[in-house]
Amino acid sequence: MSGQGLTGLSSWSRRLVAAGVLVWCLISVFPLYWVVVTAFKTPPGVVGGPTYVPFVDFTPTLQPFIDLYQGIRGEFFRTFLNSTIIGLSAAAIATAVGAMAAYALVRFEFRVRFGAGLIFFLLALGGYLLFNNTLGFTRPQALLLAFPIALVVAIVSNRLPLPGPILGNEDILFWFVSQRMFPPIVTAFALYLLYSEIGRLGFQLIDSYVGMTLCYVAFSLPIVVWLMRDFFEAIPIEVEEAAMVDNVPSWRIFLGIVVPMSMNGLLATFMITLAFVWNEFLFALFLTNSRWQTLPILVAGQNSQRGDEWWAISAAALVAIIPMMIMAGLLSRMMRSGLLLGAIK
Amino acid sequence: MMRNDPIKHVFIWPAVLVVLAISIFPLIYSFTTSFLSYRLIPPIPPRVVWFGNYATLLQEPRFWNAIFTTTLIAFIAVGVQYVIGFGVALALNARVPGERLFRVALLLPMLLAPVAVALVARMIFNPTMGPLNQFLSMFGLANLPFLTNGHWALGCIIAVEIWQWTPFIILMMLAGLQTLPEDVYEAAELENASAWQQFWGITFPMMLPISAAVVFIRLIESYKIMDTVFVMTGGGPGVDTETLTLFAYQEGFKKFNLGYTSALSFLFLIAITIIGVTYLALLRPHLEKRR
Repeated sequence: MSGQGLTGLSSWSRRLVAAGVLVWCLISVFPLYWVVVTAFKTPPGVVGGPTYVPFVDFTPTLQPFIDLYQGIRGEFFRTFLNSTIIGLSAAAIATAVGAMAAYALVRFEFRVRFGAGLIFFLLALGGYLLFNNTLGFTRPQALLLAFPIALVVAIVSNRLPLPGPILGNEDILFWFVSQRMFPPIVTAFALYLLYSEIGRLGFQLIDSYVGMTLCYVAFSLPIVVWLMRDFFEAIPIEVEEAAMVDNVPSWRIFLGIVVPMSMNGLLATFMITLAFVWNEFLFALFLTNSRWQTLPILVAGQNSQRGDEWWAISAAALVAIIPMMIMAGLLSRMMRSGLLLGAIK
Repeated sequence: MMRNDPIKHVFIWPAVLVVLAISIFPLIYSFTTSFLSYRLIPPIPPRVVWFGNYATLLQEPRFWNAIFTTTLIAFIAVGVQYVIGFGVALALNARVPGERLFRVALLLPMLLAPVAVALVARMIFNPTMGPLNQFLSMFGLANLPFLTNGHWALGCIIAVEIWQWTPFIILMMLAGLQTLPEDVYEAAELENASAWQQFWGITFPMMLPISAAVVFIRLIESYKIMDTVFVMTGGGPGVDTETLTLFAYQEGFKKFNLGYTSALSFLFLIAITIIGVTYLALLRPHLEKRR
């Protein structure tokens, strides 16, 4: 691609544009430089006013990181492990489940009657109210009863010639993506109530590995389905058709042909999902309290606990930031191979 | 070509079930709760009040303040992000020297945890020991009340939002710019159209659909802003920087006023839907003309 839009400019204004981009880059990078440098400062290096260059302005020290590791400022080591375990498993499950759904939406035809969807919603809502208010079940029991009933009735009624529009694959995709539009506070708060009521039935979900992973899988699925659909659509269908002629079953086509061909896309989706989960704050704030606390919560807590101990705050922030910095490096490599081109259409 | 094979259900149902369970489930739950007067502390048995919670909320100045603050942050931040982002994307697309190096630097901010970014911002905006204060002192503007004055604090939050999310716009716009056909520009060159004319006549209209999508995504995401504010100001001073999500969190998690919070989150949902639908309705005529 030639220099569109800039070809008409003189070399002087080209330089001006380059300078503008450079300024933005400096603005982008300076806070990162600042936090890296501050994490190696000693208390005098912070209190005496801003200092910038190690060994010239101040003597660097590793003490903040040693403090972190020893758990003086909260259990960083365990929280880091929590974040890693939850992040990796949620991203892996979400990518696998979402990729399957995306593949199904690209290659198979789905028809959902609008009426069936409506029946599902009304039955779930009505059934819940009926079980809870009239029949005297507790709220989670009522929900757990109403949900499968509504689902089964809706699936059966989907085969009946109901009036109303028929929704296709595009609409199902839109439904998935629109889940991302919901303010997460709606889900987070309700999920907290739901989890705690299920907890009263004896199955602990709040502050547990299962609860957090489940919630993050659901939370990431819309993005995964959206991204993966584009990757799958870019795969030439001829390869799959050739396999179908040989009567290879669909699941083997998916695992043996489609997945290897879209490995790059799967990897990128996995990393983007991991970044989302790693940085997520609101759900973790509601759904954890001690054992399975994740890094963002602990990092945010540094603020109020320790007034102006910047060296500690910076070291804490760095622990949360560094894995993502490495990921940015990896992602930017993939970006050059035209990865995100497809995602936008 | 679309196949039809019963195995398709095995492919799609796990995802549908998880999303149904985790998003529709709580939705029904909080929808019904929003019509109740239901507190956990002190524990009072739930009582049906129908639209009572909604009526109280709509008369609550703090609610309107939160809506106003959130809207202000979202619109200003996304507007500036779009202008800077589009500009940088144009420059990068034109092969500015050193572009490779820029890419990693540009990608970085949006992958970082907003809470960590907010902590760093607190240090930078520190009125006595921060680097920004030192920089501004050179111009005689020492010890500005960055986070302690309502207007300044709002500005700082917007600045952090711009810093963190402009890369997203750059990335998306760059991807879009690379799909534009070259022959149109060649034709424009022959007509001696200036760079300025080429931008407004070709690039901008052709980028309009992508712009609309990108701005829409950012706008919706910005309305959810919570972590940055939570760490930077905690909604203060007073309630000057309290956003909708933060308000809901305070009501729900500090006071355990369940019915009220559920009603609040539903009003939030309605507000987001209204904004989204209005936005799409306003843009539709422009988008369809280009097809």
